[in-house]
Amino acid sequence: MDEKIISRVDLMKICKDVIDKGNTLLTPGAADYYVVKDISDIILDTSALPSKISHKSYVFPRTEPVLYYKRSKNDVQLIDINIDSKKIVILGAKPCDANSINIMKHLFNWDHSDEFFNKRANNFMVIGLMCSHFDEYCFCTSVRSSPVSEKGSDLFLIPVDINNYALKIITEKGKEFISPYSGYLKPGDEKNSKLITENVRQPEAAFDSSEVYEWLGENFESPKWEGVGNLCLSCAQCAFVCSVCHCFDITDEDYSYTEGRRMKNWDGCQFGNFTLHASGHNPRDIQSKRYRQRVNHKFRYYVDRFGEILCTGCGRCSRGCPVSIDIKEIVSNCNDNQKEFLK
Amino acid sequence: MNELIKHAKELLEKGEVAAVIGYRQVSEKRTKPVIITEPEETRALVFNEYCLNNLAVYLTKARIKLLGRKNNKSFKLAITAKPCDVHSIVALIQENQIDRDKIHIISFNCHGVVKDFGFDFNGDNLSSKCITCETHKPLYYDKLLGEVKETPQARDSALERIKEIERMPHNERFEFFRSEFDKCIKCYACRAVCPLCYCQRCITDKTIPCWIETSSHQRGNFAWNVIRAFHLSGRCTGCGECDRVCPADIPLSLINRKMTIEANNLFSFVSGRSLETPTLVGSFNEKDNDELFM
Repeated sequence: MDEKIISRVDLMKICKDVIDKGNTLLTPGAADYYVVKDISDIILDTSALPSKISHKSYVFPRTEPVLYYKRSKNDVQLIDINIDSKKIVILGAKPCDANSINIMKHLFNWDHSDEFFNKRANNFMVIGLMCSHFDEYCFCTSVRSSPVSEKGSDLFLIPVDINNYALKIITEKGKEFISPYSGYLKPGDEKNSKLITENVRQPEAAFDSSEVYEWLGENFESPKWEGVGNLCLSCAQCAFVCSVCHCFDITDEDYSYTEGRRMKNWDGCQFGNFTLHASGHNPRDIQSKRYRQRVNHKFRYYVDRFGEILCTGCGRCSRGCPVSIDIKEIVSNCNDNQKEFLK
Repeated sequence: MNELIKHAKELLEKGEVAAVIGYRQVSEKRTKPVIITEPEETRALVFNEYCLNNLAVYLTKARIKLLGRKNNKSFKLAITAKPCDVHSIVALIQENQIDRDKIHIISFNCHGVVKDFGFDFNGDNLSSKCITCETHKPLYYDKLLGEVKETPQARDSALERIKEIERMPHNERFEFFRSEFDKCIKCYACRAVCPLCYCQRCITDKTIPCWIETSSHQRGNFAWNVIRAFHLSGRCTGCGECDRVCPADIPLSLINRKMTIEANNLFSFVSGRSLETPTLVGSFNEKDNDELFM
């Protein structure tokens, strides 16, 4: 791996150039990842809490048209969409966020290649930033990641002192991105950044994901689900702030009798009508079944299908849950028969 | 606290109630709802400035109502409620969603709660509903606990903001709400936590015909937030839960409070304040203000 040193001032020059070339530069704020208009807004704080909402809407928008249609007496005409393919550079992504696009990629290229997702994902350039924050809801170390994980980043920043960052070039894409700016880079030494990353405070692993995987396989009918099912209020806060939840719904919007568009909208598995069939039958008719689905999907089904956990351990869902359901607490206690989920 | 635990335990042991809906501490500055059916589990119960959830929302849930049915007999449900949560319970009783005889209200002398989990309890972090609260002692209860304490003083910045928005010219006001509603991700957490959003099937879930677009674009977000404001006008009791849980930080309580002020100005009615007065939408008085009719 290639490691360089870059000063903050030079890094900001690169950012300015990115914006000046008409590309989108994203950076995390307290509430959301936002589009940087002025580089003086960039904070790059390793100790910040993950933003309330993840950046996934920039690659998988909360609503987008997939086609337009026109109806005439005997015919329907379909009109394709031009997918917005602007380059997006995401600066200072938390390690838990940096890997999210890679995790979602499996689903969007499973039996069908989703051109909407892929085109945007390919245009994403992720500059990760080491994280030195953790609170009671963080659990990246329990889901095969860490605050210094470079997974998913094309370039990775580690602050070595107040004015300088160690810049690791992780992927070919990263190399290509940084090559025009090689004048700003000074040679670095991996030993220095290693000293920093090794000493970063990390959340202690709360659970063993393979144990959780086993438990879920054997406890589909566990009475524990009822406890959390009683508590959960069926909103989709958890799914919509999540950086890897990817369910969507297709719906048609008519402008008039003859024209309309087909939309692809975020959907959440905790909604009662998420699995409601046209017949009226609902296989997940009660909340406990829906919550079971959420945990199983994240820690078992996705692992079965794609070999990855559908969770990055950012803790957003738990931090923001209206009734303070903590997914870390739930999966950590699953093997403990003394503890019910809700207690 | 011991009094609360003792009382709840007694209720369950004597079989007077089937379950106690209460709060338990999860960390120093955060609590979460807990539904207790076994007497020994009552030891987890707490009541403090971090009991933010309005537990009345659980009373209309079918699965919670079912807890009250055991061996073909019907039992009461006990609920720990802040005085402001009692307003929601009253509104639910008035709207015939729950039966007063089936609810055992354990309430408290309340001196306010924090605006969100994780904050220290003081005037700066006081929940905005507590600043103008006129019911530190609950209006209705079956058991009253807790000492009377003074509420920290704070400025009513929410009301100032409402006045400010009222003074905005139309286009500026529209722009303000447009930018706020643009943030909406349609997770419906506001609907989920609202005790008065108890419809079995929300109008947004009705897709044939589709009155409210499910898409989270400008029109869809406007439609949702405006319809919610209308459906809660004269019904919202002002618990402020929607505002607290919104992941996009949309100031929903400004809208609800404005509508409450309007309803009060027009009909001298505030929801959830009396078991004797019928609901605003469900009653007619020939002296009612008819300026609203065209």
